[in-house]
Amino acid sequence: MNIAFTLNGKPQELTISPNEKLTEALRRLGVYSVKTGCNEGACGSCVVNVNGRAVKSCLMYAAQVDGGCVETVEFIGSLDNPHPIQSALVEEGAVQCGFCMGGLIMSAKAVFDKNPSPTDEELAIHLDGHLCRCTGYEKIQSALRKVSSGAAS
Amino acid sequence: MKLIAYHRPAALAEARHLLRELGAAAMPLAGCTSHSFVKGDEERIGVDLAKIGFDTIERADGGFIVGANARVADLQAHRAPGWVLDRVALRFVSQPVRNMTTLGGNIARIFPWNDFPVALLALNATVTIAGEEDRQLPADIYFDGQPARHFKAGDILIRVFVPDVGAGCGFAYRKDTLVSMAFSRLTAAVWLQREGKTIRDARIALGAAVPLPLRLELVEEAVVGKVYSAELIADAMERQIAALRWRSSDAFSEEYVQQLARAHVPDALEEAFRAAGGGRK
Ligand SMILES: Cc1cc2nc3c(=O)[nH]c(=O)nc-3n(C[C@H](O)[C@H](O)[C@H](O)COP(=O)(O)OP(=O)(O)OC[C@H]3O[C@@H](n4cnc5c(N)ncnc54)[C@H](O)[C@@H]3O)c2cc1C
Ligand code: FES
Ligand code: FES
Repeated sequence: MNIAFTLNGKPQELTISPNEKLTEALRRLGVYSVKTGCNEGACGSCVVNVNGRAVKSCLMYAAQVDGGCVETVEFIGSLDNPHPIQSALVEEGAVQCGFCMGGLIMSAKAVFDKNPSPTDEELAIHLDGHLCRCTGYEKIQSALRKVSSGAAS
Repeated sequence: MKLIAYHRPAALAEARHLLRELGAAAMPLAGCTSHSFVKGDEERIGVDLAKIGFDTIERADGGFIVGANARVADLQAHRAPGWVLDRVALRFVSQPVRNMTTLGGNIARIFPWNDFPVALLALNATVTIAGEEDRQLPADIYFDGQPARHFKAGDILIRVFVPDVGAGCGFAYRKDTLVSMAFSRLTAAVWLQREGKTIRDARIALGAAVPLPLRLELVEEAVVGKVYSAELIADAMERQIAALRWRSSDAFSEEYVQQLARAHVPDALEEAFRAAGGGRK
């Protein structure tokens, strides 16, 4: 079957099998930030934003995004021009291997898009569901607190 | 499970027609978050309900009409006097899954850890299924076993009426997990109505620790019409624990979840009783 959707701001058409998950389809399209960790909805490394909401792309069929709008971390910043969330994570030393980061940044972006100054509690509610094996969570938390307070570059 | 075809009808009638025409292999798709729990290679034809509507939360006389396609995240964000499901939604695994899962999907097929069947049993909700004609099933009937038995080919769950928790009433929800994202070992929901120090009415539901959600009728019988008493509740709990069939797993024994029930159910009753006295609903 064929689907058409907006991927990172650009129109995209793709032939998929009905059983294909969004993670697989995105990797076929060269979107490598989206990682498959657990493949069962537990770790958060596959999170992308669909129509503004953070979702686990390992649980979603590619067919479900037909007509929709998908954003991944490739869209929100680059090495030369990082998003404030990315800058803050780097500045606070919150990133090591980076496997979890694509998903975590997209969840954080969904929160900040709705509310530029979320409280610690709101951040915790929205980021529960992201496992990071490297950093522990304190540095991630302090980086996001920095963004929330407007102190991130 | 393997999807071999996918349809996305634009209206309820079309969805019902497709489900009937496509036969036994056809299945409604809501958030699709249950598919990773369904093992095996069975081939299915998906009929996605995402575009048929029924995704709002509206005030109605004495409660709220919640569309089956409303996401758990919508229930979490909703605020209104008498609305308590935001508290249940908040305990539901993680935000990205709450953004995907629908209320209908959570109660059309019950996994032990599903939160809403327990809460809706306590709240005495009514479920509407669209079939040849719409059928309304009270929670006690709908949740008396796996709900699949209420659905004929082409039937779709469309809405849930959730009574509000009004003046003199209180609600409490308890969920016990090893870590916040783990599957529940026990869930308990209590709705009660209070008059002074007396419990006038109560509905107490338990899940996860038992094979399917159920009401703790022995505890309800023991407390309704009585002055609130921790001793009375503890005694009734012992009789109820002895009367139930409990679930165990590699991660917990029957004795362990019984112990959890001894702790959480009285706690939830106390919270609901306080709330009914004028505190948080
Ligand atoms: C990692 C993980 C953790 C989870 N933890 C929890 C938790 O803590 N608490 C909790 O409550 N849930 C939890 N869930 C979700 C839960 O187990 C189910 O997966 C979810 O509730 C299903 O809802 P859905 O909208 O995704 O429905 P789907 O998966 O699309 O559908 C579920 C079933 O219902 C049927 N169905 C759906 N909608 C309708 C309808 N309108 N009419 C008739 N039939 C219908 C489908 O055909 C299917 O059989 C978790 C899920 C995951 C992946
Ligand atoms: S790969 Fe999707 S949540 Fe782990
Ligand atoms: S930085 Fe390695 S898993 Fe998070």
